[in-house]
Amino acid sequence: MADGLRLSHTSAMILQAVGTGHLYGYTVIAVTGLPSGTVYPALRRLETDGLIRSHWEKQSAADAALRPPRKYYKLTRPGEAALDVSRQRYPLLAKLAPSEELEDA
Amino acid sequence: MKSGWVPNVILRAASLLAPREHRAEWVREWQSELWYVPRRGSTRFCLGAFRDALWIRRERPRAAERSGMYLESPLHCLTFLSVLASAGLAMAAWLPAPRLAGMPAHFRLRDLPAACMAMALLSGLMLPALRMVMGPHHHAMPRPGKLRRGVFLALKLALVHPIILCGFLIQNRLAPVAPITNLIVTGAWIWALRWILLDQRQRCPVCLRLLTDSVRIGTASQTLFEWYGAESVCSRGHGLLHSAESSASYSSEPQWLRLDPSWDSLFVESAKERR
Repeated sequence: MADGLRLSHTSAMILQAVGTGHLYGYTVIAVTGLPSGTVYPALRRLETDGLIRSHWEKQSAADAALRPPRKYYKLTRPGEAALDVSRQRYPLLAKLAPSEELEDA
Repeated sequence: MKSGWVPNVILRAASLLAPREHRAEWVREWQSELWYVPRRGSTRFCLGAFRDALWIRRERPRAAERSGMYLESPLHCLTFLSVLASAGLAMAAWLPAPRLAGMPAHFRLRDLPAACMAMALLSGLMLPALRMVMGPHHHAMPRPGKLRRGVFLALKLALVHPIILCGFLIQNRLAPVAPITNLIVTGAWIWALRWILLDQRQRCPVCLRLLTDSVRIGTASQTLFEWYGAESVCSRGHGLLHSAESSASYSSEPQWLRLDPSWDSLFVESAKERR
């Protein structure tokens, strides 16, 4: 999967955002500035392609925080490899979503 | 965070576009995300839901593939349409005719062919426009089957019109002056014509059976100079149809790949398994 990867710039931005800890759809929107109508289909597409995977937060954890459970995304191994290739291809990606903004999953 | 009623209405409207089997999960995801969106930007955020719902609908397996078990064979397809057309004709003869000057109170059987013919003429005008909207589909077809494909298409068109005529008569009976019902029946007419073209495109050009076992090839997020799309196969082993998911100068039209007889043994076993 990792060989010959040519992610579109939008996909690479979203992958970078997820890879740097912006694990939820809305935080990806906030950090990339892309509209919701682009981000959610792109997240689904990346998941279909096996570059990320999604999980629903446990209901008990959400209930304890008095909020609805969220769906969060994580990079898979092929996703990490794809992100490495994309960072070489788009050097400015590294400026997006610095790692210190990591959130709790 | 409590959002206003407008974003929720937008989400509910957009959810109608999502396929039914994914709708509950889809709504749950958007509503949970909406909770975190500041109220000021929530309407704009929710407008993206339409695109997302449409994306999911486009990506799911096509309805024709799911119903292919019943309509895979051209004979089954024509039989199914014939049954519907007969029922439509029977209803059309029984229901009162539209109240127009010089028209009898009921359609007489001898009026029905003329009514269907008039509809067929209108369909003939709509078809080229529909074909243009649906995009090109001129993959190299084997010449011998051209007449058979043409006859099959004509029969489908001929059988669909009595059904639509019945729809118009029912509409006229229920709500003779309501423009919305007129629009609904006209929409159903266009949908039926679109289905006919789509069905024709998803059939093997040799035996006219619906192509099956559609698989996705390539990855859509890697679009730069990469072909990606779907490949379907004729269950009798006549060939494969490659359809690109996004149009490019090198892949704008579907490609029909004819399989030579060396593949036959594979499909004989598959046909036995189907039985």
